[in-house]
Amino acid sequence: MRWYIAIRYLLSHKRQSLVCVAGVTISVTMFITMVAMMEGFKDKFIIETVESSGHITIHDEPRETRTKILELVYTDPNALLAVDSVKPREDVKKIKNAAGLMAQLRHLRGIEAVAPEVDGDAIATYGTKTMTVSLLGIEPEQQLRVTTVGKDVVEGSFDRLRTTADGVIVGRGVADLLGAKLDDEITLSSNTGGRTTSRVVGIFATGVTPVDYSRAYMLINSAQTLLDKKNVINDIIVRTQDYTKAQGYAAQIESIAGYKTESWQESNANFLKIFAIQSIITYIITGALLVVAAFGVLNILIMAVLERVNEIAILKSFGLSRADITWIYVFQGVIIGLIGTVLGEVIGKLGVEGLRRLPIQVEGLIKSEGLLMSESRGMYVWAFVSSMAIVLLAAVYPARRAAKYDPVEVIRGAH
Amino acid sequence: MARTETMLEMPPARVGHNPPLLEARHVRRVLGTGDAANEVLCGVNLIVRRGEYACIVGASGSGKSTLLYLLGGLDRPTRFDAAGRPFDPPSQVFIEGENTADLSDTQLAMLRNRMVGFVFQFHYLLKEFTAQENVALPMFKSGRLSRQAAMERSAQLLKRLGMGEKLKRRAHRLSGGEQQRVAMARALANEPRVLLADEPTGNLDRRNGELIEDIFHELHAGGQTIVMVTHDLSLAKRADRRITMEDGKIVEDERMGN
Repeated sequence: MRWYIAIRYLLSHKRQSLVCVAGVTISVTMFITMVAMMEGFKDKFIIETVESSGHITIHDEPRETRTKILELVYTDPNALLAVDSVKPREDVKKIKNAAGLMAQLRHLRGIEAVAPEVDGDAIATYGTKTMTVSLLGIEPEQQLRVTTVGKDVVEGSFDRLRTTADGVIVGRGVADLLGAKLDDEITLSSNTGGRTTSRVVGIFATGVTPVDYSRAYMLINSAQTLLDKKNVINDIIVRTQDYTKAQGYAAQIESIAGYKTESWQESNANFLKIFAIQSIITYIITGALLVVAAFGVLNILIMAVLERVNEIAILKSFGLSRADITWIYVFQGVIIGLIGTVLGEVIGKLGVEGLRRLPIQVEGLIKSEGLLMSESRGMYVWAFVSSMAIVLLAAVYPARRAAKYDPVEVIRGAH
Repeated sequence: MARTETMLEMPPARVGHNPPLLEARHVRRVLGTGDAANEVLCGVNLIVRRGEYACIVGASGSGKSTLLYLLGGLDRPTRFDAAGRPFDPPSQVFIEGENTADLSDTQLAMLRNRMVGFVFQFHYLLKEFTAQENVALPMFKSGRLSRQAAMERSAQLLKRLGMGEKLKRRAHRLSGGEQQRVAMARALANEPRVLLADEPTGNLDRRNGELIEDIFHELHAGGQTIVMVTHDLSLAKRADRRITMEDGKIVEDERMGN
């Protein structure tokens, strides 16, 4: 009976009910499209970053801190120790016994693959154009197991790196800035005086602008020679079975390796912070829309209560309890919320599909053809839950107010 | 205006031992608090038995309606004095032996649904609902009949009150007299033990007033217990018991011999 009365009450004010439903629909639609867009870009960035750079990177920075020799001799904590004109050690930065460490890591639970890298900056020159690139020396076979660089090659092929001793694979942005094309020869120079001419055997595009506009891959031996890092391994790239748990694995690996170990989350903390702020702003805006819609529901239901005070009294007189009256108004909120939310989800889904098909070229942190819209089902669930919760919350106040009316007072007032 | 076609079926009339159906024991009702407190009922005692047609009369503000609402469980008696002490003797209302003070809001609501039918001066129909639906609502609440059976009984009741042709008419499109007849049918929907009416003809013209008067008379003849508050002398004359109230007390309780 509660549903029966609730539905009839709503139908008696079709226009107001429709406005309420429309408010909820619009806010849910906005929620879904905005979150889909935001999450789409974020997901793309994370996936491409993770897949192109690996889940975890072990750097050539030892974790143990060396105790200064003077502190070993003078242990008094209050002693003032000062040494003038200290000459820094000229250690070659590298991961010691990298092969042994990699072998050890391969046996760790949750680790899928590891690969060595040597890295350094190089100046790439093609004709009159020059730019600095981040040069990564890799073992092609092993690299393919930790990153998707092989799949990201859009021109040429990754295999040619193995067969071409002086080959280099450059990002799409690097190629564009240099004006170099496939099979062109570019000159690479390091700050240690190394210099080589390399053939562009592949051009890759991850879609992540900072990667595509700065990175170049070559064989590890060639890179070591160019960068004057003979037999040096700077980094070890690790691929885990679950990239979302990379932070946990990184801490574990760091304790084993004794070298600074960064998960992809740490390496990209700045970008992730920007995404987090963007998420907060999006949720605030869409949340505000939902709250406005909820105020609409609140308003309509308060009006409905005020104009039906006498009816509430009579309903109580023939046996409806306070709980019955409460539910009649809560159900009105449920109906408005349910219809508005479901419609909002349907229109939101259509909106997401429509926006995905828009021929818009996106170039920024991420480069893509068309808007990147998230496919996550979670956002539909979130939209449903938050919309229903807010609308229900809005319905509770008028419902409780309606239930509190004392029928005798109401009837006396009418006399 | 159509007359009622026949007597409405009612609970079997009392035979032999007839225990109280409604009982007010030392009932007090204080409205407002502090300096604004107003003692509307001052220790009223009253017993209504099955089959009675009692009429409560008195000046405005004498506490007639308050007593009626208390007898029907729509309100509860005041149990404590201004200092928070329970009244001695306790202020209580019993509906078929059930002390309304012991019942939760939901239990009291169920009791009203099952045992009491209210008719007010203003009909208070649900305006978006048809006459038939308005009458069926108490039956929907009780759940004793299926939805279809409730609608059928609703139609039957309305036909017997001369509203057979306006079953599907929305409440706000009915005249005042018609609305009051729908309200009466609604009050009778669950075959209540007692019909409580508060100035049922107070808002009607003479012709409609007489029609309602006749309906009450016929209901009583069929065994229906009725307690009615009225200023209408002709209506009061047809009752078989007249209770006169003054300043929150019953000052006269006489059998009319109708």
